[in-house]
Amino acid sequence: MELESLKYIWHSLEAPPAREPDHGALLALLEKRSRGPVARMRRNLIGEGILLLVTYIPGILCYWLEFDGRLSAISWLLALLALLFFGYYSRKYRLLTEMQCVTSPVRSSLAQQVETLKKYTRFYLRAGTGIIPLTYLLSYAIIRWKLPAPPAFYHRLHPTPWWASPAFWLILLVPITIGIYFINAWYINKLYGRHIKKLQELLQEMEAE
Amino acid sequence: MQDPAIQQAFIRLVNEHRGMLYKVCRLYCFTEPDRQDLFQEIVIQLWRSYASFRGEAKFSTWLYRIALNTAISGLRKQQRLISPTDPGQLPTELQDIQYPAEKEEQLQLLYAAIEQLSEVEKALTMLYLDDKSYLEMEEILGISQNNLRVKMNRIKEKLRKITQAVTYGIGKS
Repeated sequence: MELESLKYIWHSLEAPPAREPDHGALLALLEKRSRGPVARMRRNLIGEGILLLVTYIPGILCYWLEFDGRLSAISWLLALLALLFFGYYSRKYRLLTEMQCVTSPVRSSLAQQVETLKKYTRFYLRAGTGIIPLTYLLSYAIIRWKLPAPPAFYHRLHPTPWWASPAFWLILLVPITIGIYFINAWYINKLYGRHIKKLQELLQEMEAE
Repeated sequence: MQDPAIQQAFIRLVNEHRGMLYKVCRLYCFTEPDRQDLFQEIVIQLWRSYASFRGEAKFSTWLYRIALNTAISGLRKQQRLISPTDPGQLPTELQDIQYPAEKEEQLQLLYAAIEQLSEVEKALTMLYLDDKSYLEMEEILGISQNNLRVKMNRIKEKLRKITQAVTYGIGKS
């Protein structure tokens, strides 16, 4: 059968159904939330942001107001982390907003989605990996700064150079960071890998001559 | 954008073009619940973008872009996204339409053939069958007219082979 003859069948689909259109149902649709993947990612991100605020704010206040202010450094650490997370979430949110470009021609919309999703996953991987050693180092610095130094006789019993302890923790940090990098990479690929691949294939097909 | 007049105008436009929306849903989804999901998502996306429509492109071009973008990349294929209780809320005109037996058979043949095309090929076929010019197709898909012609020739050949095979298959059974 030729494509031209399929046109006749196709146009017969134009015939409106006998039933009257249901305005009420269409109106109800306008109130619904999008179930598309990007919209759901954005909602999840907002949920995570709210969870962050709900868990960090009481922690910050607790360490700031309790213990006679002796542990206020921990509240500074938590506030700094909350700020970093806020930057992390807002960057991700901006990228997701960029990804919603349904009014563009299909090819440019696909290209934009692929590019932004790649940027998103790169940022996810780098920031998600970087935040762990950063927290680790900050916590270490606070512990060293806040904890009282061991008594002098301890040093006489266990003579160690000043750099031994930081070097030990730094060396420990390397395999932890590498491990977290690979776990993050695996997780991000599990979340977005197939979707990116599908979008790339569609784009390639559109661009192929 | 909660102005009832704007909502009514939007619904009127959606109703005017519901045949096209219905076709996109039939083309990209094989089951009724999936079609309803897609229809819902397209209407939501149209409504969210409605305020930004400034008439720079034809309304139908704008509509096709959103519908195809949503169908091709917005939803993951054959994934149920709304609960089974929701379909009652959906417009009745999207529910299965019964055509006369002969027409239904032809439609099945058409869809059986189109089902075997890729998502991009489906979009092209739909625009072609809807008598869109290559210029309009370019505006909707963002593919150059030369490339569109090449692709269309390949699709025609592919569909010819598929429909022959499908017809033969039907005749055998």
